Amino acid sequence: MALSAQTSTFSRIFWPLLAWGIALIFFFPIFWMVFTSFKTDADAVKPEHLFAFKPTLENYLNMTENYDYWRFAANSVITSVFATVFALIVGVPAAYAMAFNPSRHTKDILVWMLSTKMLPAAAVLYPMTFLTKNFLGIFDTHFLVIFVLCLINLPIVIWMLFTYFKEIPKEIIEAGKMDGVSTWGEIKAILIPLAWGGVASTALLTFIFCLNEAYWTVRLTTTEAATLSKLIEGNRAPEGLFFGRLSAVSTAAVGPIIVLGWFCQKQLVQGLTFGAVK
Amino acid sequence: MANRSLPRLLQTPAVVLLLLWMLVPLSMTLYFSFIRYVLNSLSRPEWTKPSLSNWRGLGNYEYVLFKAKDFWFAIENSLFIVGSILVLTVTLGLALAMLVNRSFPGRGIVRVLLISPFFVMPAVNAVLWINMILDPVLGLNGIAVAGLNGIIDGLRDFPVLGSFFSLWPEFEPISFRATQSSAYAVIIMVTWQWTPFAVLIFMTSLQSEDESQKEAAILDGANAWSRFRNLTLPHLGRPIAIVVMIQSIFHLSLYAEIEIVSRGNGNKNLPYLIGEFSTNNIGAASATGILAVILANIVAIFLLRMVGKSLMD
Repeated sequence: MALSAQTSTFSRIFWPLLAWGIALIFFFPIFWMVFTSFKTDADAVKPEHLFAFKPTLENYLNMTENYDYWRFAANSVITSVFATVFALIVGVPAAYAMAFNPSRHTKDILVWMLSTKMLPAAAVLYPMTFLTKNFLGIFDTHFLVIFVLCLINLPIVIWMLFTYFKEIPKEIIEAGKMDGVSTWGEIKAILIPLAWGGVASTALLTFIFCLNEAYWTVRLTTTEAATLSKLIEGNRAPEGLFFGRLSAVSTAAVGPIIVLGWFCQKQLVQGLTFGAVK
Repeated sequence: MANRSLPRLLQTPAVVLLLLWMLVPLSMTLYFSFIRYVLNSLSRPEWTKPSLSNWRGLGNYEYVLFKAKDFWFAIENSLFIVGSILVLTVTLGLALAMLVNRSFPGRGIVRVLLISPFFVMPAVNAVLWINMILDPVLGLNGIAVAGLNGIIDGLRDFPVLGSFFSLWPEFEPISFRATQSSAYAVIIMVTWQWTPFAVLIFMTSLQSEDESQKEAAILDGANAWSRFRNLTLPHLGRPIAIVVMIQSIFHLSLYAEIEIVSRGNGNKNLPYLIGEFSTNNIGAASATGILAVILANIVAIFLLRMVGKSLMD
């Protein structure tokens, strides 16, 4: 008995401390990026100014001048918002139909949709460039980025919505039908209030995925529709001369997304494992 | 009848869009992979336009598989990178999930700190690690090694121990942009980013573990390790499989990290190789693309089976 009491005192202190320690290590690179963003470019590479320096906001104030940050940020937000909205417009009806009126093909359709997500993007890089540049003339347009972001996220959107809709008890809808409620009335009075949460978290997660997408947004744009991923990849600073300003623009690029991400940890599990882990 | 056709109508836009998205570019890739097609050729200008008269059969595949030296290197390197990341993220993820799966002060904050790296966009991840942390001169890597050398240097002035320390060599920081070590840089940064994903999934799954079984095991005198081995690990079997498969699919197509770390110098994978071929030899790029699709499908089939099974329950 005494032994077990001892172990529990030990584990009450040791394990939480370890958890805290590891969490801080994992967060450290992000902290370091934010920390460096308040140094001048000169201070950022001097070991003697590693911790002792005069904090400055100049990197943030000069972000437009140095990187044209707001244009890229606007492109990112605009394309992600529209892609999310379109994915929902196409995805909600589909998921609704599959969840409430499943046919014997529904399962196969869902699995097939997911399989489109697993095609390596690089395999169709040239055809996509060829089609959009030479054939359709939409290379480097917002429309193209929105279209591609919408399509690559559509399978996840449908899967997430499907798993949410499936949890709504069918009896409620059928009871509505018995009472003679019209389809639209049924959707408005019963379904929307019940499904609202699921749709909102799907939208949030899709928005984050769109903002972080880094293959197509980089390779199908040059200047007009270039997003934050493109901005950062274009300023990789191999000589390390601009650590201060690079940190600031990186912080501005990922900071809002990290904060958004904190709010949808749970949806992330569902969205990325397609409902297979509960 | 209307009852049957409405659901079908609602699904049609999604199905048609995804069908187009999948079939159109992929069939073009398939077509290009069987013809001679280059972007610039002074001696054979007829090859610069895709045309059936440039039919090459399996020639592009033969070229990629047996003549271009980088294909097998890219496969090997891909497997090395993906394998290392999988081992690291699953092990670390299991340990951390167990650690955070108990209540202690500030657990919510610990979770938030742990999950954050996952939301960093890949380009920022790579730029941040390779410059500010791993750079052998200006990054923390270089600064730490220089600091260590400075300390040892200082110790050399001590009367007795000094002669001992003067035998020590200067430490050299590892240069992660170099040919031999750029794959390690990619492994480090991706592991940092994806361990949170594994933690999150294992934690979700641990919460559904049967507590009464565990308590019974404690009463039977099973120690912590055997409880983990015989109860928790089997319970986590399925999440582990899913984490492994999803990560395989994502990491087989890593691109931004490889591009930013060393521009593929000594560190290629199939998507990178496709990108390199695409600057001129579209036939070879397309053949490589088709091979990459086949490779991804091998992983995807297992994942889809597993996901499909859990679909209707």
